[in-house]
Formats: sequence, structure tokens, C-alpha cells
Amino acid sequence: MQIRETLRSTYPVILLAVVVAICVTILTGVGNITLPRIEAMEKQKVEKMLSEMFPRMTGYTFEDEIYSVYSGDDTVGHAFIAIGKGYGGNINILVGLEDEQTIKGIIVVSHTETPGLGSLITEDFFTDQFTSVTIDDMALRRDGGQIDAITGATISSRAVAEAVRVTAWDKVELLRGNEAGT
Amino acid sequence: MSTSKKEFVKGLITTNPVFVLLLGLCPALAVSTSIDNALGMTLAVFIVLLGANVIIAAIRGIVPSITRIPIFIVIIATLVTLVNLLFNAFLPDLHATLGIYLPLVVVNCIVLGRAEAFASKNPMVRSIADALGMTVGFMIAMLMISFIRQMLGTGEMSVFGFHIFSLPVLIDSPMAIFILPPGGFLIMGLLLALLRWKGVLKL
Repeated sequence: MQIRETLRSTYPVILLAVVVAICVTILTGVGNITLPRIEAMEKQKVEKMLSEMFPRMTGYTFEDEIYSVYSGDDTVGHAFIAIGKGYGGNINILVGLEDEQTIKGIIVVSHTETPGLGSLITEDFFTDQFTSVTIDDMALRRDGGQIDAITGATISSRAVAEAVRVTAWDKVELLRGNEAGT
Repeated sequence: MSTSKKEFVKGLITTNPVFVLLLGLCPALAVSTSIDNALGMTLAVFIVLLGANVIIAAIRGIVPSITRIPIFIVIIATLVTLVNLLFNAFLPDLHATLGIYLPLVVVNCIVLGRAEAFASKNPMVRSIADALGMTVGFMIAMLMISFIRQMLGTGEMSVFGFHIFSLPVLIDSPMAIFILPPGGFLIMGLLLALLRWKGVLKL
């Protein structure tokens, strides 16, 4: 009698635990199955973007978080991923280096900015502003740089410009160090 | 009219999720800046709302009322994450367009609201009809709001890259406030007032 009573009063809790357990199992399973596919897809995406940025690319290597792009035996440029703190989370940007002072161009790989406002950072009219600009000029106009912010999306625009500039200097330092070492 | 049909039709106007139930306003106002966004969000709501209503109508018999809300939330959150993962892995093109809307659906109280108010008390077929009706009602509201916001806020109308028309003066100096959050509240409030005044909506 008493056991029955206990069972009845704990049933809601047990059911909740069972539902959570089932959901966690399903999510873990699906997460494991989809992870390699998602990663492969990301890699393919980066490859496509690199060849868009460096049309002469025949191959590339990835070392110290820097993509070195080759055309035959010649190095035609370097690229890296910069991560900006946007309005809605991280913004991942693929940045191409023309030389040690100049940016070749940028492509926004992924972001979670507000649709219709911050999400405009992926559009050509914004990213084209970064093409062949010196690293020092990578800042919003109001911050003394050369980039026009998107109306209503100053935080997203600034996040991209700042991330590109700061990360570019880091990577240039790193590349110089590598060259001096070899 | 059959009951299923009635459950479908009621979502369009009489219990429209946005204009009458006033549910899911946060994502609704956040993404109703253009027709493209409105349709993208509608598709995301459709998938999750239908899935949630089906699952919850199926298990409604064994869910005790005391823990029903946490159980519904766990199921909805799982569903959203699942859809997000599967789309990312198998339908990358669709995920690229829907990716930013899907996480917003989890905070969309239309989904929890329908699970709680309808699917937990009604059989499967009627719950499906309810989900479909609510989705269409959501789409109608989103299209109305986003049409006005996009027109005034950008001065032109284009859907999925196809240019439809431009407004003569606004195209040169668009009223950006209508794309921004305050414009969303303004349009939403004015639309509600207009629809009540004209007697389309009754409380």
C-alpha cells in the first residue's frame, strides 16, 4: 500500500528524468553522427573560400592556424580565421593577407548576428571595403579607420574590423618569426 | 465544418498567434525586417511547431500535469537542437539560410504555448491541424509586419534577390528606424490598432 503511494508521488519526477535521459541520448547520438559531416563540410567551405580569395591556388597547408596558399611551388598568400565578438556571439571571419601590410580580402564564415541588421556583414558591400586595405586602416571611420559601419549594426561592424586588425597583426608577427627562423 | 478544419482555420485570424495570442513577439519583431526573414522564420516555426505538437499529442496520456512544463521544454529544446544538427549535416544550403532563425525558435513561446494549451489536451490529428493553422497565422502576421517595415525602412521591395518595386523618395533616404527594434514595436502596435478598429480582430 505504502509502496504504491510512494510510486504515485514520485512518478512525475521519474518520468521527467526518463524524458531527459531519452533526449540526452538522442542528442548525443545525433551529435556524434553529424559531427564528422559538419566538420568535413566546414573544411570544404574554407577550401572553396580560399580558392575564391586566391584564384591561382593549387594547394594549401594549414599550420599554426595559418593557411599558406600555394600556386605550384610559389606561395601566393596567407589566410587565417579571425574571431570577433559580435552582438549575438562570435563572428568567424576568413582573412586573406596580400603582404605584411595589406589585407587581400575577407569572407564571413559564420555568425549569429541579428537577421536583417548585423547579418549584413556577410554582404559584398560591407566585405568589399576590406579588399586591399592596409591593416592599420582596418577600423570604423568614427574610430579613425577606413571602414563604413552598417547603419544600425555598429557593434557587428566594429567587431569585424577590430577582429581583422588585431588578429592580422598577430599573424603577421608570427609569419615574420617563422621566416626569420627558417 | 470538420473539427480538424476548424482547428486549422482558427489559427489564421480568430486566434492568430501574433495578433491575438500575442505569443512569440520577441523573435517575431526581431526578424520581421524583411520578407525573406519572415519566410525563413515561418519555415523554422513550422518544422518545430509541427514536431512538438505531434510528440506532445502522442505522449499527453502519460504526462502528469505537475511536471508537464519542464517535460515540454526539454522536448522542444531537443527538437530544435536536433533539427539544427541534422540540417547542418545533411541540408547545408537550407541551414545556411535558416541557421540564424532556428536557435530563435527555442525561445518562441508559440511552440510552448500550443503544446501547453492545445496539444496536451487534444488528439494527434487535431494537434497537427492546430500546428498548421498557427504556422499560417504566424506567416500572415509576419508578412504584414515585415512588408511595411522593409518598405519604409529600405525604400524598396525585393524578395530573395528579385526586385519588385522602389518608392521614389524613400529609396534615397530610407527611414532606418523601421528596420530597427523601435520601428518593429511601432508597426506592430499600429497594425494591432488598425485591425481592432476595422473589426478584423475581436477579443
